[in-house]
Amino acid sequence: MLVHVGRRFHFERLRQARAVHQHRPLVEDSRWPSWGVVIGIEVHAQIKSRQKLFSSQFMSYSNSVHLPNALVSPYDAAFPGTLPRLNPSCVELGVRTALALGCEVQPRSTFDRKHYFYADLPSGYQITQHYAPFATSGHLHLSKSDLSVRIKQLQLEQDTGKSMTDRRRRVTSIDLNRAGAGLMEIVSEPDIRSPEEAADYVRTLQTLLRAMGSSDGNMEAGSLRCDVNVSVGRLGGPFGTRCEIKNLNSVRFMIIAIAHETHRQIALLEAGKEVAQETRGFDEDKAETYSLRSKEDAPDYRYMPDPNLPPLLLNEAFVSRIRRGIPPLPASTRARLLSLGLSERDVDVLITIDANVDINYDGEARCGAVAYFDEVSQGRNPKVVINWMTNELLGQLTLRHDQQSSAHPFQSNPVSVAQFGELIDLVDSRKITGPAGKTIIRHIITNSSGAMPSALAAELLLLVGDNTETSLKKWCEAAIQALPQEAEVVRKGNKNVVNKLVGHVMKSSRGAADAKAARSMLEDILSG
Amino acid sequence: MGSLNIHSDHGPVVNPCQVPSTFVPWHERERRSAGGSSGGSAAAVASGMCYAALGTDTGGSIRLPASYCGVVGLKPSYGVVSRWGVVSYADSLDCVGVFGANVDYVSKVFNTIAQYDSRDPSAATLETRAQAKSECQRTLSDWTDSSNLSGLRIGIPQEYFPSELNTAIVEPLRKLISTLKGRGASIVAVSLPSTRYALSAYYVIASAEASSNLARYDGIEYGLRVDPPRTADTTKTANVYAYTRTQGFGAEVQKRILLGTYALTADAFDNYFLQAQRLRNRVRADFDQVFRVRNVLSHASEHPHVPDAVDVLLHPSAIQTAPLLDAKRAHGDLSAYVQDVLTVPASLAGLPAINVPIGLGEDGWPIGASVVGQWGCDEVVLKVGKVIEGIQLTSRSLL
Repeated sequence: MLVHVGRRFHFERLRQARAVHQHRPLVEDSRWPSWGVVIGIEVHAQIKSRQKLFSSQFMSYSNSVHLPNALVSPYDAAFPGTLPRLNPSCVELGVRTALALGCEVQPRSTFDRKHYFYADLPSGYQITQHYAPFATSGHLHLSKSDLSVRIKQLQLEQDTGKSMTDRRRRVTSIDLNRAGAGLMEIVSEPDIRSPEEAADYVRTLQTLLRAMGSSDGNMEAGSLRCDVNVSVGRLGGPFGTRCEIKNLNSVRFMIIAIAHETHRQIALLEAGKEVAQETRGFDEDKAETYSLRSKEDAPDYRYMPDPNLPPLLLNEAFVSRIRRGIPPLPASTRARLLSLGLSERDVDVLITIDANVDINYDGEARCGAVAYFDEVSQGRNPKVVINWMTNELLGQLTLRHDQQSSAHPFQSNPVSVAQFGELIDLVDSRKITGPAGKTIIRHIITNSSGAMPSALAAELLLLVGDNTETSLKKWCEAAIQALPQEAEVVRKGNKNVVNKLVGHVMKSSRGAADAKAARSMLEDILSG
Repeated sequence: MGSLNIHSDHGPVVNPCQVPSTFVPWHERERRSAGGSSGGSAAAVASGMCYAALGTDTGGSIRLPASYCGVVGLKPSYGVVSRWGVVSYADSLDCVGVFGANVDYVSKVFNTIAQYDSRDPSAATLETRAQAKSECQRTLSDWTDSSNLSGLRIGIPQEYFPSELNTAIVEPLRKLISTLKGRGASIVAVSLPSTRYALSAYYVIASAEASSNLARYDGIEYGLRVDPPRTADTTKTANVYAYTRTQGFGAEVQKRILLGTYALTADAFDNYFLQAQRLRNRVRADFDQVFRVRNVLSHASEHPHVPDAVDVLLHPSAIQTAPLLDAKRAHGDLSAYVQDVLTVPASLAGLPAINVPIGLGEDGWPIGASVVGQWGCDEVVLKVGKVIEGIQLTSRSLL
């Protein structure tokens, strides 16, 4: 990235006419016969950077929960005399996302101030990229809807603080922890034609952001927020006036809001009225949109090129470097895993875990389920590894997981790649039995043990080598003694009941006994 | 804000200049303005309280007080001294600079504070500084001796002698120019045709940036807080803020906030803000045309070769000597703004400019000359300033 002190504004770029592009005709829908709906979505995704967009303030300390106003530098609070400094990690994650969306990364983009007065915006302006965004003209392919949605642009901007109003006490509290965090605004073209396609778009984008490591993309937690533009038109006719629905915070509410808004606009038009261009909110309890402000009341944001921040210059070498380091998209990960011989179900398990495990800061690779699987599979049979992983490891982790915790069970996996690999090798080379392997996994998880499975097997007397004729005989005799009635039944010739005795041997040997050997020894003893 | 320093909460800064030729103590003379907005620093140096002082210069706030108070004042190249810690007025114009009792003090302080600071996003990089330094070495090597100025080319910009300029200012400047010529300097008449638009462009840009920067003084985080009366309509956020901001800002500041806010509205943006930026680029291009040294910030690959190109420009710092503090100003009197006509072009172009005292006017108050150089040529400007200072000392001792 190059920055310089000179300020040369490219005024011609500042005033670009919005191209009217009717890319895709209206689509018939049984919910609103003879009408079609046109949808465009603006997504604000919080960038998963360690530090804020223009200050060195950390976004969190060691993943703990933070008190309000604990993550605020003087700059974030707009302290007079402070100045912004662009965080290169935010630019890298932005460019990574833009490339994954097939965008053209602009060699030169600029930062602008958007002005409005609000208590959670301490400087009175938000820095954004209104006139010259850093990436344009991309697309996002929705595999479920088999549809390509064009991406108009991506811009970097600051998040605001949070206001919490206590109506009873008539007090509004301000929390600036979020103020100045980096956001990517991702603007789609109006290519979406149903609430379900809109949901598909947001979900696909969430997955892409997480795969890029650029955002958690979590709507409930507020790291992804959507504004949706909705207009309607008669099939074959032109598009109508659009309304913007602000701040939808779940995909489910988005579907409901779009459907309601579509019905509302159609009802107006069918009654011979006009749809007024306005900004609307969504009432989650009533499942309705409501007017926030009309076009006439729209604030004039007085956009001004930020006089502190030089243009962002991204040269070809920088973009190529980011392109080379781009992580694979979920679709290519899926294809690769399937080619290793994993079943669809197993691949789903791994990818679903990764869709729910927190991503790392600053785009650093994290140890998700796929990465864990890949590491353990190095030099081992992938099918054996996936079986141990899905059946034993994940099973035990889920069993012991604190139900109250919002984290995914895999996030607290204490079994290291080295431990898990050695365990599989021990079983594979018959140094321990499968059940003994399970015992060791349970032991490591329960005790958060860092010991290697070979050491644990010796300590717990689980090695097959320990499993000598003498000890097997001891376990078998103990079983016969403990279950005299069953032993008697076997003596009388009912071979099926021998399973109960084998079960007892396995239990008292903690899985170390060879079940087959135990069965034949029991049969020997009891037939004698 | 407010170039006469009369809008301060603590009353006006009185000009303490004590002229050596008079026996009347300064405080018994008529009260004159120390100039603004860094008039306090200029007054501190002029009264002998200190050898040097810091100030900020957005459109002339160091050079004018220096001229009025009879001290040396340097506005460095934009981006050379860190702005971290400076309360922003207009970020693209704000410069931290130095006042001093003489050029040497100013040089000493300037050389100490002119350091790259990563906390200032508009700071010139080390690479840019090095480029500028090597560019101005060429000029500096052409003349080494203050008694032999052959090789130094001084431009006199014709647009800097407006009709408002007091004729008494011109005489000492003329004398200075002929002395410089006598020592071998080439004196060249130059033209900076966009100068006439500079003042309007400056007021639009500075006010727009100020309206933005002052938005944080809203009574919530910063500034005075005025609670709305119980009967007030507080359904709109703007209504709540209005009480604080109406009372917290003085008349002059309110005027500029409103002008700047207007210039940024969607309807006015093209005709005011963008137009002002275009003019700013023309003012900058004018300067690049007359300087022998290329502007290292310019993207133009080749420096236009102009036969009559100069090393520095020389012009009066102010259109008059320090104005009377107690003079009645008629409503709509624009003289306070007209004054800026000589200082804002260098601010718009981000160029280094120094005021050096060159004698007294007919009224017995100081007159100053400004030396302006290409971006990054602060050293050249200081060196020429030192030559002028030397000429003053010699002529005074001859008297």
